[in-house]
Amino acid sequence: MSLRSKLGYTAATLTVLVALLTPFVLMGLLSKGFAGLGLHVDEMYSGGPKIRTVPYAAYAVAIHRPVHPHMLQNEMPFVQLDWSPASALPAHVSDTVDIDGDGQPDIRASFDVPVDPKAPLRVDVDSHNPRYEAMHNAGKERYSRLIARVDNSILIRIPLAHP
Amino acid sequence: MCPSYNRTIGMCSIASRTAVDAAEPATRAQLCIKRHRLEPAKKAKFSPMAPPVLFSEALALGLASGPACIAACGPVLVPSLLTQQAGFRPHARYLAAFLSARLLGYLLFAIAVWELGALASMLPALHMLPRAFLMGAVNILLACVLLWYAYSARHACGQSCSGSKLVNIGATTSHRAAGAVALGLLTGLSLCPPFVAAGVRAAQLPGVVQALLFFTLFFVGTSVWFVPFLGLGCLVRNQAVVTVARMAMVLIALYYLALGIAMLMEKKAYGY
Amino acid sequence: MATKACTPGPAPAAPRSSVRALMLTLPIVVWSLLMFFHPGTNTDWRSRTAAAITALFMTALFFMMMRTHTTYRWRRLFFVALGVLFPVGFIYNLVLARGTMGIPVEEMIAGRTPFCFMPIPTLILPAALTRTIVFPGSILSAGGASSHAIAAMVGLWLALTLVLGKGWCSYACFFGGIEEGMAAIPARPRLRKLDPRWRYGPWAVLLAMALLSLALFEPAYCMWLCPFKAVTEYVAARNLVGLIQNVIFVLLFAGLVIVLPFLTKKRTQCSYFCPFGAFQSIFNKISIFDVRIDQARCKSCNICQNACPNLSLSKESIARGETLISCMKCGACIDACPRQAAVWHIKGTQVALKPERARLMFLYAAWAMAILFGGSIIAQGIATILHFLA
Repeated sequence: MSLRSKLGYTAATLTVLVALLTPFVLMGLLSKGFAGLGLHVDEMYSGGPKIRTVPYAAYAVAIHRPVHPHMLQNEMPFVQLDWSPASALPAHVSDTVDIDGDGQPDIRASFDVPVDPKAPLRVDVDSHNPRYEAMHNAGKERYSRLIARVDNSILIRIPLAHP
Repeated sequence: MCPSYNRTIGMCSIASRTAVDAAEPATRAQLCIKRHRLEPAKKAKFSPMAPPVLFSEALALGLASGPACIAACGPVLVPSLLTQQAGFRPHARYLAAFLSARLLGYLLFAIAVWELGALASMLPALHMLPRAFLMGAVNILLACVLLWYAYSARHACGQSCSGSKLVNIGATTSHRAAGAVALGLLTGLSLCPPFVAAGVRAAQLPGVVQALLFFTLFFVGTSVWFVPFLGLGCLVRNQAVVTVARMAMVLIALYYLALGIAMLMEKKAYGY
Repeated sequence: MATKACTPGPAPAAPRSSVRALMLTLPIVVWSLLMFFHPGTNTDWRSRTAAAITALFMTALFFMMMRTHTTYRWRRLFFVALGVLFPVGFIYNLVLARGTMGIPVEEMIAGRTPFCFMPIPTLILPAALTRTIVFPGSILSAGGASSHAIAAMVGLWLALTLVLGKGWCSYACFFGGIEEGMAAIPARPRLRKLDPRWRYGPWAVLLAMALLSLALFEPAYCMWLCPFKAVTEYVAARNLVGLIQNVIFVLLFAGLVIVLPFLTKKRTQCSYFCPFGAFQSIFNKISIFDVRIDQARCKSCNICQNACPNLSLSKESIARGETLISCMKCGACIDACPRQAAVWHIKGTQVALKPERARLMFLYAAWAMAILFGGSIIAQGIATILHFLA
């Protein structure tokens, strides 16, 4: 048998071994390796990491880092605020939030919290800081301008205007 | 109010908010956005005494915007390069024509925004000129050129080419420059966010010559990222590669057409 | 090349004895037991029954492959079952988790959009340039309808690709079975003459979608062109553009997956459109198994070319003694060849010296992967049906 044939059969045998090892070792290794690459899901979907939490009465408002569109994404930059837990929210919420942490209120968000978690949400955002855009009766218009209930939180994404 | 301040206000009105906000924070901080904060005295920082800093900023902005530029131009450039003859030189010629036309588009835009900045303060109606309309029109035109390119690339002109240069823009002989120029010009006018951010910056400059220089250096910075496209010249050309490129061009053109129509109708270009 | 008359070749190999076939099937029996009945699985009777049915099904198919020396029609049975049962289990889970096949934005924000393998090639460029995955999923599991996080699917895909190359499209893809089933229905094709240049379509779609995904920073194929959105999930249409997207999905599915396979007896979505298939073709270059044509036996009758469901044989490639890069290793050409000129092959070894050895080695690896991945999906589909029946 020539060397090439031996190498071929060796590679074929290794391939069969790889197949057998896949569910026990290989798949987990490759998955962890991929997870370890440091990639992250586009923040346009995830909303960006939380940077601060502002406590209110029975709930808290988490403020995320502003998200800016990549490349040529057809979206505006936005900042996401989470009201959680949604189960602890009153029937009507009207809160001022200091987003940038300078001690001055930046926006006032007003929305009703329906009992049915699947009921549509609408929000009015009054802007006290020209950096943030006002919203009127906004629903789920686009990734950068919406109000949505995700698990036990109500998220609001406020587009950034000119800084 | 000094003319440069007026131009700045005008540029703030016309520039895409998305584009401005998409710019890096460092660049954004330098842009005139908060009108009420800008004072006439601050225009001194735009004096011609600071060209080395200013123009290194242009180069840096171009280099930083490179990925966005190749992302924007890639869908147009890659398939059109693949319909060309294999080899380093044909690709270098095509790329040179494409980039030159792109530079022309940049410079035309530079002049336009610089002048519009002055005009806009006197003609409030110009504030209303929507970016979406311009982008929509450019996208539709780009789609049409791509479709025509894909169609005409099937005509591999040999010794005699009786068709017009426009008809044969995708042909594999001497008429390919027209295609490169058309596509380069249109991608140069595509108003992508880094491009508009550079435009906002250029509009703050005291003179149109400085604006042109700024854009030229910005262009040089972005063009560095196009050098790897020359590697496509090493790919063998046969019926398979050219057919793939033509089909891809059609798909991309259809997408740009849909995008352009959606922008003209001021509709969201996606289902959500 | 002039077509020579197809003279009868060597007599086809006699069926293996049942005992010998059973001996060769034993490793697959053990593998099935390991995969379907390891501790922690099958907590209710439906799951256990579904697992047993699937294990028996896969083992029986492998037994028949061993006994009859043929591969294609038994593999096709598995593949059609996979293609039909995947939507059953998947849609049921979706409806259970969120009440609809449409993906609401809340699920996308929560990172619970199930990640399938199709967007993988279009995510590479954005990830390379910005370290960002342009898909509304989770790197690690986020629960809900998304039991397959991105990392898990990528790990699985990598492992299966190392083993199978483009054999993924014959032993793992849970979309191709529907069109393969449709292609099997008619006795003869009604549409024979299609421009062969259409087979470059998958590469064009791959190129266009990769470039557009980078430019627009979205999973362009998923947003606009995936035919299988019609039988899995889709972004719920909220406006005219969304409606247009969904109409495109349905039309592509109807055309490429139902009608054209029925008319042509080919896997037309795979052959003319699927960008993932084009991407997987690249891995055929590193896969150790392939299909070759023994020139000593081949009489250029082109039966293999007609039998190939994926247009992976041309007159030129047959003359070279090989398949095109798009070969899915389904075995159709090998089983169809009247002279046993088309053979399984291990790269580096002599063509047609011991093809059955190459076939066995490939099938053990491929069927193990098929049981691991496709088998679990089939079992889930059967369990879903049992849930409704009892």
